[in-house]
Amino acid sequence: MPVRVVESSAPSQISGANSGKTSPPACTLLSVGQAFSGTQNVSSLQKDEAWRVNVHIQGCDLEHGYLCGTMEALNVPMADTPVVTFWEGEIVDTINYTFFTGKWEATPEDDKKHWDKFPSFAPFKSQVEFDGGKTLDLSNYPYIFMRWKEQYFVNVGTDCGLTIAGFYYVCFSCSDGSISGFYYDPNSSPFQKLELKSTNEGRRSGFSFSSYELQ
Amino acid sequence: MPTPASSSASASASSSHRRASSDLMVRIGSADSEIKLRALRELKNQIIGNRTKKLFFLKLGAVPAVSCALVQAQAQAQADLLVQSAAALGSFACGFDAGVRAVLDSGAFANLVALLSFPDDKVVDAGARSLRMIYQSKLAPKYDFLQEKNMEFLLSLLNSENETVTGLGASIIIHSCETVVEQKALCYAGVLKKLTSLLEGSPSQKDASLESLATIIKKNPEAASKFVSESRRALNSVIDLSKDRNPRTRLLACMCLIVIRNTSPYYLQDIGIKTKLVYLLLELLDDPGQVGEEASYAFSSLLAQKEDLQKLAFEANAIDKLHNHLKKHSLQPRRYQGILLALAELCSKLESCRSRFLSLEALNLVTDALSHEVADVRTAACICLRSVSRSIKSLSAGRFMKEMIVIPLVQLLHDPSTSVQVAALGAVSNVVVDFTTAKSTFLQCGGLKLLVQLSKSMDPILRLNALWGLRNLMFLADNTCKEGIFLELTAPSLSSLICDPEPFVQEQALALVRNLVDGCLDSIEYVFAEDGIILDAIGMQLQSTSKAEIGIQGMYVLSNIASGKEIHKEAVMHQLLLQVNNGTQAFILKFLQSNDSQLRTAAIWTIINLTLPSSPGASSRVVKLRNAGIVSQIKTMVNDPCVDVKLRVRTALGQFMTVGDGST
Repeated sequence: MPVRVVESSAPSQISGANSGKTSPPACTLLSVGQAFSGTQNVSSLQKDEAWRVNVHIQGCDLEHGYLCGTMEALNVPMADTPVVTFWEGEIVDTINYTFFTGKWEATPEDDKKHWDKFPSFAPFKSQVEFDGGKTLDLSNYPYIFMRWKEQYFVNVGTDCGLTIAGFYYVCFSCSDGSISGFYYDPNSSPFQKLELKSTNEGRRSGFSFSSYELQ
Repeated sequence: MPTPASSSASASASSSHRRASSDLMVRIGSADSEIKLRALRELKNQIIGNRTKKLFFLKLGAVPAVSCALVQAQAQAQADLLVQSAAALGSFACGFDAGVRAVLDSGAFANLVALLSFPDDKVVDAGARSLRMIYQSKLAPKYDFLQEKNMEFLLSLLNSENETVTGLGASIIIHSCETVVEQKALCYAGVLKKLTSLLEGSPSQKDASLESLATIIKKNPEAASKFVSESRRALNSVIDLSKDRNPRTRLLACMCLIVIRNTSPYYLQDIGIKTKLVYLLLELLDDPGQVGEEASYAFSSLLAQKEDLQKLAFEANAIDKLHNHLKKHSLQPRRYQGILLALAELCSKLESCRSRFLSLEALNLVTDALSHEVADVRTAACICLRSVSRSIKSLSAGRFMKEMIVIPLVQLLHDPSTSVQVAALGAVSNVVVDFTTAKSTFLQCGGLKLLVQLSKSMDPILRLNALWGLRNLMFLADNTCKEGIFLELTAPSLSSLICDPEPFVQEQALALVRNLVDGCLDSIEYVFAEDGIILDAIGMQLQSTSKAEIGIQGMYVLSNIASGKEIHKEAVMHQLLLQVNNGTQAFILKFLQSNDSQLRTAAIWTIINLTLPSSPGASSRVVKLRNAGIVSQIKTMVNDPCVDVKLRVRTALGQFMTVGDGST
């Protein structure tokens, strides 16, 4: 018997009576071992350019709003090999982190400008302008907002001619595992777009999930 | 070159010593009270603080002789003899378990208790002192507080004017109060009140009272609440004693406050007292004696499982301070162990702590401790390494998968002590997660063989931890590494581990298979080895289990297999529908209806993989799933309270529509 799909995924504000969980939902497509691939547009006024990018999720701790992994840039012109960096992510969960970055040279204006670029941010816009989104309930929203900050180069030295000074504003879709993001670095081209899709390595016909557990 | 003359001199000295000792024994048995008294005093003076002498006289049968002297003196009410014989027995018992055993075996315990009722204060004092020595040993008889007359006796001890006697009362509590019932009995008999008043007594009464209070309150919120609410003064007195000029009193006051805090979440929560405890204990660590040794353990219990306190300790520079202690040469084993455990607790949750620890290069010192001669130090080093290796940032940088860490760690896997093995497995489990391509280092060091051996141990804790290590080693392992693990472990062993009697072993075994069949498509073939005994074991376990954790891991194995070729998908279908064909409920239906959202998610992913529209057999599988009632079950889940499940259900329903026969 077909039943109507209830669209309860609109964001809501926390009412006084709601003392439950308000952080974004856990999503299997954003768990450890998952991989994503796509591109980062690094075009400048001089030329159009996009680097192929692979991302692997290595750690996830929703309680602390923490996510981490590696990012591999494949066709970097000045590098002989793919360049791998390790990044750490802040999940905007209104508990550990809000939409306001408060560091990395990002002002609230920079934050708003970047979040605004994600269509899925639209429902939050006014609330974020009002109180930084502190009172939002994100627990049923099918998108997860994050900031990813690269911490170190894994396979090349810091003298590789590349910088990891900036960070990414990231929006993850729980429905299909797609990721979009914008790189922010006051000294680099603005709004470099990152677009990734959930991949299944090993040429599989379906989704595969591995796991580890630290002791 | 040694000369015969010197060896003969030493032999003659030794024999004269033996003669003198035998003579002393004879004099203890003398009928002359004066001779006996002098002999008892001499014996006591010889053995005080001298373990070798205690053992020597123990072998000569001195304890029964002194015990006999005590009984005779009691019969004749000879106070001086009673004092000396009780003191000699106390000296035998002091910090020496063999001595305690000999005193108890001699039957003198009851006589010593009887001395407490003697009219002469000196005798009472000697008896109480001696009994205190006995009660400081684990071998002392357990005191039954639940007998009314015993409780009355204990209260009489605590109410005594004699400091040694009240100290004995406290020692009895510290030694014998173990259960909640005993804690309650002591509370309601008014012992808390009495101990509170002793907090203002002499230095030794303060210490004894603090330790007894901690014993009664530990893990008993009712006792904690009674202590705090009975009088405002009580808690303040303990707080005041944390500033006492005696370091031991300060330590005991800290330990008492930690017990109250750890027992009840309502007390001592303000940042002021928390910070104070952190600084006090860090300062006490500098004490060169027993106080410094114990302070590290108290520090660990203050920090255990408490992120806020770990943060405070980090801000108080605790990592650097502990590291400085660790750097000292020739640390006593107990102090060494305590510092390692405190570092382990400090690095258990916060990345900032781990990062500081690693920047100080403290890891080298911990690695040294892995090869220490004392098992407890080796265990503590493993626990410390386990905490530090929770840093994904460092794992990702390949910071732990190095020979200087892995080689000593692997050696500990065949340590004679099981607790060292378990602790080493804990550290191994984290280290092998390694996200670089260096997992082979572990294999080359012989780690794989040992993990597999331990996964077949008779001890379920070893099996669990060894499998945990193998499961993490298998995570994102390359094909060579996977093949190595599988060949070493073998299909029959793996299937019997899946059916292990212990559920937590089953769970890890399934998680291991889940990682085995992830990644390269060919790796799915492993579960079909030896006529598919692994897959059959998984099916059987999923049908019979009632534990969600086992269901989750098992369903992800099936889901990963179902992400393979047609033949793989059909094999999963066979497992899912086996019971339907037998007329019983399919486990997938049970899992889809589970209260555990992770289990529902794992089950629905399996269905998604089986019905991907791009796979040729999807349509016929949808028909079979519909006939088994699985499609209709999924339809009921479109408004699942878990977002992940709800989104997957939509994907699955969309796929049913695409590949279905029109009736979806």
